[in-house]
This record gives sequence, structure tokens and C-alpha cells, in this order.
Amino acid sequence: MVDFIQNCLDGIMLGSSYGLLAIGFTLIFGVMRRLNLSYGPSIMVGAFVGTLVYLEFQANAVAIAAATVVGAVIVGIYVERLCFRAIRRGAAVASMVSSFVIWMQLEEIVTVVFPDRTYFFPPLVSAAPVELGPFFFKLENVVMFACAAVMTVWLHWLLQRTRFGLALRAVSEDPRAALFMGINVGAVMSLAFVIASAFGGVAAYLIVSADGQITPLFGLWATFKGLIAMMLGGMGSIPGAILGGLLLGVVEAQSIWYLGTEYRDLSAYFLLFLFLVFRPGGLMGQLAVEREQAATRRV
Amino acid sequence: MLEVSDVAVSYGNIEALRGVELSVEEGGITCLLGPNGAGKTTLMMTIAGILRPRRGRIRFLDRDITGMRPSGVVKRGIALVPENRLVFPAMNVHENLIAGAYLRLGKRKAQVQRDVDHVFERFPRLQERSKQLAGTLSGGEQQMLAVARALMARPRLLMMDEPSLGLAPLIVEEIFRIISDLNADGTTIFLVEQNAHMALQVADHFFLLEQGQVSFSGKPGQLSEHEVIQRAYLGKSAQHDPPAGDRGRPDGTTHPSG
Amino acid sequence: MGGDYLIAVLSNIGMISFIALSAYLLLVVGEISFGQQAFFAVSAYGSGIATAMWGWPIWLGLLWGALVAGVAALVVAIPTVRLRGLYFSVATLAFAEMVRLILEIFTYQVEIDGELVGPNGSDGFRDIRAIYDSNVSAFEYLLIIYGLLAVVLVGFLILERSRLGAIFRMIGEDPMLTEMQGLNVTAHKILAVVLAGVVAGIGGALYAHLTTYVEPKIFNVMLGVHGLAYGLIGGLGTAFGPLIGVAIDIGLLESIRAISGYRMIVFGGLVAVLLIVRPRGLLDEAAVHWLRVRWRELRRGLRRGWRRAEG
Repeated sequence: MVDFIQNCLDGIMLGSSYGLLAIGFTLIFGVMRRLNLSYGPSIMVGAFVGTLVYLEFQANAVAIAAATVVGAVIVGIYVERLCFRAIRRGAAVASMVSSFVIWMQLEEIVTVVFPDRTYFFPPLVSAAPVELGPFFFKLENVVMFACAAVMTVWLHWLLQRTRFGLALRAVSEDPRAALFMGINVGAVMSLAFVIASAFGGVAAYLIVSADGQITPLFGLWATFKGLIAMMLGGMGSIPGAILGGLLLGVVEAQSIWYLGTEYRDLSAYFLLFLFLVFRPGGLMGQLAVEREQAATRRV
Repeated sequence: MLEVSDVAVSYGNIEALRGVELSVEEGGITCLLGPNGAGKTTLMMTIAGILRPRRGRIRFLDRDITGMRPSGVVKRGIALVPENRLVFPAMNVHENLIAGAYLRLGKRKAQVQRDVDHVFERFPRLQERSKQLAGTLSGGEQQMLAVARALMARPRLLMMDEPSLGLAPLIVEEIFRIISDLNADGTTIFLVEQNAHMALQVADHFFLLEQGQVSFSGKPGQLSEHEVIQRAYLGKSAQHDPPAGDRGRPDGTTHPSG
Repeated sequence: MGGDYLIAVLSNIGMISFIALSAYLLLVVGEISFGQQAFFAVSAYGSGIATAMWGWPIWLGLLWGALVAGVAALVVAIPTVRLRGLYFSVATLAFAEMVRLILEIFTYQVEIDGELVGPNGSDGFRDIRAIYDSNVSAFEYLLIIYGLLAVVLVGFLILERSRLGAIFRMIGEDPMLTEMQGLNVTAHKILAVVLAGVVAGIGGALYAHLTTYVEPKIFNVMLGVHGLAYGLIGGLGTAFGPLIGVAIDIGLLESIRAISGYRMIVFGGLVAVLLIVRPRGLLDEAAVHWLRVRWRELRRGLRRGWRRAEG
């Protein structure tokens, strides 16, 4: 029982970073109704910018984190311009494939600039795990969880309480009607990309610094963790993204403990498949499905 | 108040509007009738700044608004109630109304809140459903919400694209009563309709749009309702055909479907 | 550039073309699959087991591989076919990753001539030597690949002119409208998924026997998404589209030595720009129509000229 609870705690900590990745996905999907496969790779580039700042200037954690976020945002804007804004409405598949070839491009740029592939990434905190009764908490995971919680609350406030949040929700529900309200839809979409990339950048920094290393494969990993967490929670829902991330984290942690490492991803995909077949709306239910279907009659 | 001169719009190679000329007088209800595909919605979109005309001029209150961005058009005082209403389904009624006042939200929050109260006075049914999600409202309520949302922009000119579409006859009457009331309170209205019978009852002036051009302009009564209905539903080509059976029933409450 | 190298590149183009065609067929019915590599993998393993472990002849092995892939596709299709849009795409992805991860732990080995043969988890499946044992040369095998590709392609061309093909395109355009015509959209979609699975399966079986060695990580999502991208680069108007996409990437860019090591940087940029100009690929529906009309005119003109020359 202690093991099970410990796994849940570990899973929730880990899952909070998945939740941040999923929030980025869900924000972009919400306003664009298109899948950005380059999401993971663009924050991977951000993390390599952080690595560069570390290698060149031996910078401190704050500077590295800032560089990671800024890098992710800049690449995010590049992706938005090239794969989304430039491709006309109604061509969602083209945007998706475009974001895929840009993924390949970003990955190769990184391998050219960083030929060793695997690089050391300085940890944010290096302290012994905290003991609380029978349970252990790794400090970097606690930080990860706290950051995720703060950022989610902030995003919730932004979406529900501000003028920009209203515009963003309006655009994600009906871009046409938003235009009639005088909302600058293009600008809202770009800003949604920036916010999503910044969330991704923070998530990337937290995950990579906890791992202590970075490889170009992080892009693929981040895209698929974010995608799975988003689908588990329910597409287009911010609470769903967080819950989906936590669920994914817990399932992975339990699988590793009870079945073995090789079952970690297998159980995650199995769960995803079951959800899609029996409950496509994910944890947040059918509302998300209907909204998505109404908005994307033609993919 | 609004003058459209020689406006042409095309989608790729297809010309939707071919030199449209019309004007809307301040204080009145102007109605635009015409068959499906005549370009009525295209004209609305062009005035609203969503589409750019290939040629021609659009003037509003003696200022050129041709090719202006949608936000600029809204700021100048034109609000559109779009076809099919397009309310924000997963936002509640109150949020939908606030979204209608989007351009004023930054500085004039108190004024916006007063306007919400004002709109609720006019539409008590919306106040009752203030916290309900717009997607769960009935068709008639959604239409009211769409009108109310447009009013939140404090428009000088309210454009409405087929407000009676898909609504039951009783609801249609209610919507048209609202239109008359709004006009009586000083809002100029530019209405696109399929429902010629109802439209001719409220309109001060009307235009017939056929194949991308204005083919008639005048006051209700200048043309027999029968002819208007025929031309509005079926276009010029059908003018000499026998009356179109139940498609153009004189009471005008049914719509040609398809 | 030696002949061996050329044969290797051409063989690669041929095999990847099967995946691209497979993804293309689903694009025609309006669905995006991230998971066609699963059927490629299932067939690679299935046919390898048949020839290397059960001693079946190659042709039967290939057939078996395609069949296994078709059955696997049916198994995926039944629960997922009513999912639309991204839900279907992610379901195919989940399935394909499950297949790959199961192959990572799948072990089934028998002793043949004192050696263990068969899939061995993440170490992969070695010694699928059927074509070498029966002395098929690389060039002959290339002919087999392209022969089968030609058969599949002719099948696609017939399909495109048939009623079934028209129904597929209609479902891709508007499934609701198709349903209202009294056509069974679900059954047709299942059929499309199964056919696509078989096409990918043929490629997988050919691949396993060419390389003699397969391992699970080859069949990752990159393979499937590449196949999908090729269809969109070449164009969604005709089955030649995916082949053009494959040829541009593997044939053209890989052979330009000057950009080796930067290939994806160039390719990514080029394709991104292409998709801005032509969001449905080089040979989209409009381009195909234009070509058909020109071709007809040309033929008519030639015939007229011929007649004049005769008269």
C-alpha cells in the first residue's frame, strides 16, 4: 500500500510536467483546430538554447531557464508563421504535415549545431530527497509540481478574468464570430502560440533539468507525452489537460513499479486507446468531443 | 448613412458581386431581398470588412470604410448579426454579451456593465438564462442573444443576416417585433431576408439583389408582393414561370429548403 | 555511384512507396493515420516467421504477411472507424505504438541448424534469409518489388475509376452526405482501412526479406508520418502523388551529396513552402483534372492530325 501511494505521488509530480505540455497543445489546438506536431521539437530547441547559454557562459539556473523559454517562444513563432498562418483555412492536414517537416528540420539543425547529441543539463536543485513519514519526495519533482500548479492557476485567471482571455476563448469557439466582435483573430492566435510555447519552455526546463541531460529525441518525447495527456483529459480543455497529465503520470509510475520499465509506454498507449474507443471525450467528457466536431467538420 | 457604390467581389474566378449600388438611410429599416446565391451574405461580409472588394467604394457616415479591418468597422458603429447566429456555444449568455462589447472592454468597464443591464431589460428571457451556456439555448433565444450581443457594440447601424432562418413562425414574429422596437428606439437597421413577407411589413425601403447586382430599389408596395416573393426566392429567370406552389407560399412563413 | 547503391536506393523507394500509398488511401477517405507503420511491422514479422521459421516459400510468406496485416487492420478498424478527425489519427498512433512496444518484448525462437531463429524482443529478428537461400539477386528482387508496386498501383488506378473509388472520395469530402445517399460509410471505411493495411503489409514483407533483419524501433511513428507526408507532398489527386513524394525525398535529396547532413533542413524548408502554395500537394485534384483535360486534347489533336495525314 505504501508503494502504491508512493507511486501515485511520484506519478502526480511527473504528471504535472505532462500537464504543462498538454496545456500548450490544448491552447494551440483550441484556437487553431490544427495539430502542431512541431510543438515538442520547438521546446526541445529551446532547451538546447538553454544548454548553449550554460556551456558558453556557465550561467545560473534562472538565466538558463529564461533562455530555454525565450528559445521555445521564438521557434514557436517561426512554426506559427510558416506552418499555420501562411497556410490558408481549411487545409488542416497541410498545416500538420508542414509542422512535421519543420520538426525534421529543427531536429537536424540541432544535431548539426550539437553533434554530440547527448548533453549535460545543469539541475535546478540538487538536494537529497525529503522524507515525510514513509514517503520520499524528490525536491526537483516538488518544484516541478509547484510550478505547474502556479502556472495553471495563472492561466485560469488569464482565460476567465481578462479581456485577452475572453478574446482567446471567443476565437477558439468561433473565429468567424470573434471577427465580427472586432477581435483581432490573427493576433490572438499568435499570442496563444506564444503562451503555449512559454508553457512548453518552462515544462522543458523543469523536465530536462530533473533528468540532468538533453538529447534531440526530447522533441518526439514531448510531442507525444503532451498529445497523450491532452487526449486523455479531453481535447481543448485546460483542466482536462492537467488531469490528463496527472493520470498519465500515475499510470506510468504504477506500470514501472509493478510491471517493469518496458511496460511504461505500453500501458500509457493502451490506456489512451481504450479511452479513445470507449470515451473519446477523455476525463472531461463528451462536451469536448462535440465542440471539436462542430468546429472541425472537415479536417 | 451607408453608401455602397459599384462594389464587386469575387471568390477566385467566381464573381459574387458585380457592381452593387445601394444606400441605407439613417433611422430607417432597409431590407435586402434576393434568391440564394445572389450574394446577399457576401455583401454583408464585405461591408463588415471580412471580405475585400475587387473594386468599388463603401462609405459610412461620409467616411470611406472600404477595405477597413473588421475591428475598424465595428469601431465606426456597424455591428453584424451573422447568419446562423454564431453565438459562442461554450460561453454563458453573460460572457457572450461582454464579448459583444470587446472593443470597449479595456477602458469602459462600468459603461459595459450598464449596457448589459440595459440589454437584459430589453430581453428579460436572456437575463433569466444569464449563466446558461449559449449552446444550450433554443434557436429563438440564440437569435435574441446574437442581436443582443451585436447591440453591445453600441452600433449606429445594425446589420442582420437572415435573422428568421430556421425559426418557427411565432418566434419569427417575435424577432421582427424586436427589430421594429430597436428601430423605433433609434437604431438604423439593414436587414437581409429570405422571408419577404415579414421583411416587407417592417421595411421602409428595399432592394432586390439578383445575380450579384441590384435589380430593383423602392418602397414596399411599389412592386406586388407576389412578384417580390418570386424574384426573391427564385431569381429573375423564374419570373415568367407559374407561381411556385408551396415554395413561395404567400404567407411567406416557409422557406425554400435546399 | 555504384550499381549496388542505385539498386539499394531504388529498393528503398519502392518499399517506402507502399507505406505512402497506404496512408494516401486513408487520406482519400478523409482520415489521417499516424499508424500505417504498424501493418508494415506486423507483416515484416509475420512473413519473416513464415519463411525463416516455418520454412514457407517466399511467395507464400509475402502473401501471409499481407494477410496478417489485413487482419490486424480489421482488428483496429472495427473499434476506431467511427472516430473522426484527430481522434482517429491518435487512435492509429496508439495502436501502432502498442504494436511496436509489444514487439520490443515479443520473443518466439526455435532452433534451426543449431541456431536460435526468430524474433527476440528489442534485439530484433535476424536471419530472414529466404531470398539469399534461394539465390535471388538484388536486381531480381528489385524487379519483384517494382512488379508488386506496379500491381498495387494499377489496382489504385482501377479503384479511382470505379464506383468504389468514387464512394471513397465522397466519404472523404462529406461522410454525412454519403450516409444520406444510403451508402454504408462505416463498412466502406473499414474496407479502406483493411486495404490500406494490406498495401502497407506488402511493403513490410518485402522489407523484411531485403534487409534480412528487422528490429522494433524501425517501425516507430517517424516511418508512418513520413509515409503520410509523402502523400501530401506529391499530391492528393492521384495515386502517383505519394510516389512522387517518396521519389523527391529519398531519390532526389538523398542522392545530392552536397546537402548530406543537411538534407532535412533543406527538405523541411522546401516542403513547408510547397504546402503554403499547394496545400493539397503538387498533383492535387485540380492539377490532375487539368492534366487529364490537356491529355485528352492532345490525343484528340494527334488523332485529327493523323487522320489529316492519312487523308
